Amino acid sequence: MSGSLLEVTGVSMHFGGLTAVDNVTYTIRSGEVRGIIGPNGAGKTTLFNAITGDLKPSSGKVYLKGEDITGLSPDLICQKGMSRTFQLTYVFPEMTVYECVWVGVYSKARRASTMFFSQADRLKDVADKTMELCRLVGLEEKRDELASNLSYGDQKVLEIAMALSTEPALLLLDEPTQGVGPQEADGIVQLIELLSQRMSILLIEHNIDIILRVCHNLTVLSFGRVIADGSCEEIGRNEEVQRIYLGDITCS
Amino acid sequence: MERKGIVTRFALVSLLVLAVLGVVLPSGARSLVVQIMIFSIFAMGYDICLGYTNQCSLGHSMFFGAGAYGAILSIMSFKLGLIPALGVALVAGFVFAFLLGLICVRLSEAYFVIVTAIISAVFHLLAMDMTWLTGGDDGLSTTIPPVFGLSLYNPYVNYYFVFFFLLVSYLILRRIIGAPLGRIFISIRENPRRAHFLGYNITRYKLIAFVLSGVFGALAGALYTMTMRYASADYFNFYWSVLPIVWCLIGGTGTLAGCWIGVALMSLFQYYVSAWFTHYLLLFGILILIILKVSRRGMLGYFAGRG
Amino acid sequence: MPEWLLNVLFLLMNGLIWGLIIALIALGLSLIFGVMGIVNMAHGDLYMVGAVLAFYLIPLLGSFWLALLVVPLIIAVIAAPIERFILRPYEGHHAVTMIATVGISFILQQAALATYGGIPKKMADPWDVTFNLFGVSYPGYRLLIAGISIVILAAIWLFLYRTSYGVLIRASIQDKNMAAAMGIDVNRVLIGTFVLGSVLAAIGGVLAAPITQVFYLMGADVALLAFIVVIIGGLGSLGGTLVAALSLCAIEGVMSAVLNPTLSKAAIFVVMIVILMIRPRGLFGEAEH
Repeated sequence: MSGSLLEVTGVSMHFGGLTAVDNVTYTIRSGEVRGIIGPNGAGKTTLFNAITGDLKPSSGKVYLKGEDITGLSPDLICQKGMSRTFQLTYVFPEMTVYECVWVGVYSKARRASTMFFSQADRLKDVADKTMELCRLVGLEEKRDELASNLSYGDQKVLEIAMALSTEPALLLLDEPTQGVGPQEADGIVQLIELLSQRMSILLIEHNIDIILRVCHNLTVLSFGRVIADGSCEEIGRNEEVQRIYLGDITCS
Repeated sequence: MERKGIVTRFALVSLLVLAVLGVVLPSGARSLVVQIMIFSIFAMGYDICLGYTNQCSLGHSMFFGAGAYGAILSIMSFKLGLIPALGVALVAGFVFAFLLGLICVRLSEAYFVIVTAIISAVFHLLAMDMTWLTGGDDGLSTTIPPVFGLSLYNPYVNYYFVFFFLLVSYLILRRIIGAPLGRIFISIRENPRRAHFLGYNITRYKLIAFVLSGVFGALAGALYTMTMRYASADYFNFYWSVLPIVWCLIGGTGTLAGCWIGVALMSLFQYYVSAWFTHYLLLFGILILIILKVSRRGMLGYFAGRG
Repeated sequence: MPEWLLNVLFLLMNGLIWGLIIALIALGLSLIFGVMGIVNMAHGDLYMVGAVLAFYLIPLLGSFWLALLVVPLIIAVIAAPIERFILRPYEGHHAVTMIATVGISFILQQAALATYGGIPKKMADPWDVTFNLFGVSYPGYRLLIAGISIVILAAIWLFLYRTSYGVLIRASIQDKNMAAAMGIDVNRVLIGTFVLGSVLAAIGGVLAAPITQVFYLMGADVALLAFIVVIIGGLGSLGGTLVAALSLCAIEGVMSAVLNPTLSKAAIFVVMIVILMIRPRGLFGEAEH
């Protein structure tokens, strides 16, 4: 598999007189792990929102697998194979871990014949996949806990599991380790590394070490504009990036 | 998990008790219980809306009224039998709920509340005005045809007729809540935006819940009419939209059978208090405030938990 | 001038005068929603209480102007504890506060029924002067209402746009968290807004009492209209509220020439549905961010 999975061409987002995202263009190939970095307020999350259907881009186009998805609603974009997590934890508080993941898995396995009267827990294929996902992210033991009772780090992991549950070809992670202790953060990074072997990932992250550990390529945003785009080594040598943001960077 | 088990056990015990009560109760109490069972159907339907998808509708009197008139008009004007008339009532509830839902479910929370209230208020005015169709405030009364050769004028038949529908409604709704659809509803209640990003069209599922809820409202309206042999424009009154909220809040939203407690308490309250106090609604208002106070932690915890 | 045109003109005038009263009431509703996020189902009943108080106090005090001053004060004294003790505990929980206001609505209605009685009553015109307009006599009191309403609306506008307290209220409509972060005493703004909104409803009641039937359920119709106005104008949008109130009441006034009151309400309701289909947040409502 090669070729571009996601193509973002000239996307801008204006709010009133404010330009939050300014003519952003980049491409993600199949299997690529790309990081988006930039100072606070550079428009990273807004860009995510514009790609995933939360916001309709003021101008520009977004293509997923060659198909124009600009301005489609989030549910359709999700069904087409792009899934995301949120900066603040965004789970179903009064549902169990298992149920949270189950809802996502069923989204893909949805059928009118099972929707209304089948007993939810007797759908074997959905149950198997849900368990498999819980196991994959390491929440198997906690599957019957309410999502709201989980630790913050576990909620972040659950979020990733929920994003995975719809079988995305492209996974968008918005600061998956923000506010998480170092030990739990390390677990999350290992999970991302594992996932990067199976799918493409677009990652917003402040922690440069993590970015360098998992990403192949970087897009650097500042004030809504792309100021650099390339492999980690190239970005590391880019003087403008060094000046604006990074200080020093070395690729591992 | 534990809570679910308790509610289910409560529901089964209640249904058993109700099955026996029909035979042993004196006639006055029996008709009160019939009313409680009818309102319980209304309340369970409403819970699908409020408790499972977090849509606080103030327009459900419309479905109650639509069901009532669907039934009585098809009996009076079209000489339909009881079961076909019930079918007409359900279709009427479905159509009303579907059309109202198309307009309302995509609105934000505050707009949803206001617009459902406005629409049902307008329908109340229209029902009062169109006396040629509805009989206005005086209402319409009719003789109710027998069902399978049994007359509803026999209090036992009436009791078990209503009981049957309570049982069936409970089983159907419980099944739906336990099905994938129910889980989707709950996920939408818990965090609509997250559910949207998991690939669910929120508007569509909210509409399904709203229509489902409206159809059971209409069923309750039809059964009420058949029991009272009477329907009036007052069935569209705002009061009938507030009652289901109160029932569900007392019994606990999102529990399906919990609202039966609310219905029973409110019906007993109304039955005994309205007998000696003309300003019964004054106490009703105070009661609403007390309920909110007492069940505050539950209520708040409930509404707070939704992103 | 042909007679039919004259008729239409008078209906239009009556409609616009109602529109001004409705604008006052709807403005109160809209402020309360915009600042507090409360869908106030008791708003129409505060209007009713204002009218009932006017019914007693205008003859008692012997002065319409004194009543116009005293009634809002009484309402303020009723509204403040409602906000502080009944609504404040549920702040931010829209559904709960809304249901609480439903409870308050029942209490106010029944209290009025118990004291004032259940029969609609008509009160004497406080200003018994008629003007000659195009050869037809027109009650002066209606013109007076228009004048008073315009003065109050202008005062509200000045208050919101020219005083520091008004700026606080508008800031809170924009973004409550931001307002709190800027060190604004949000609780003071909340109680002030609820009292102001309720007072506006009560003033509407005092003004309307002489030109309508005073009745313990009179709030329902007005609340319905005020809610439609607020929905069409956009919740929290003050200019939208004014525009919607005047235009809807003018339309309703003129339509009452050919339709009965219920059907002209239904027609307005259809207008609302159409507008909601096109703009789910009303004509002047802000888009969801």
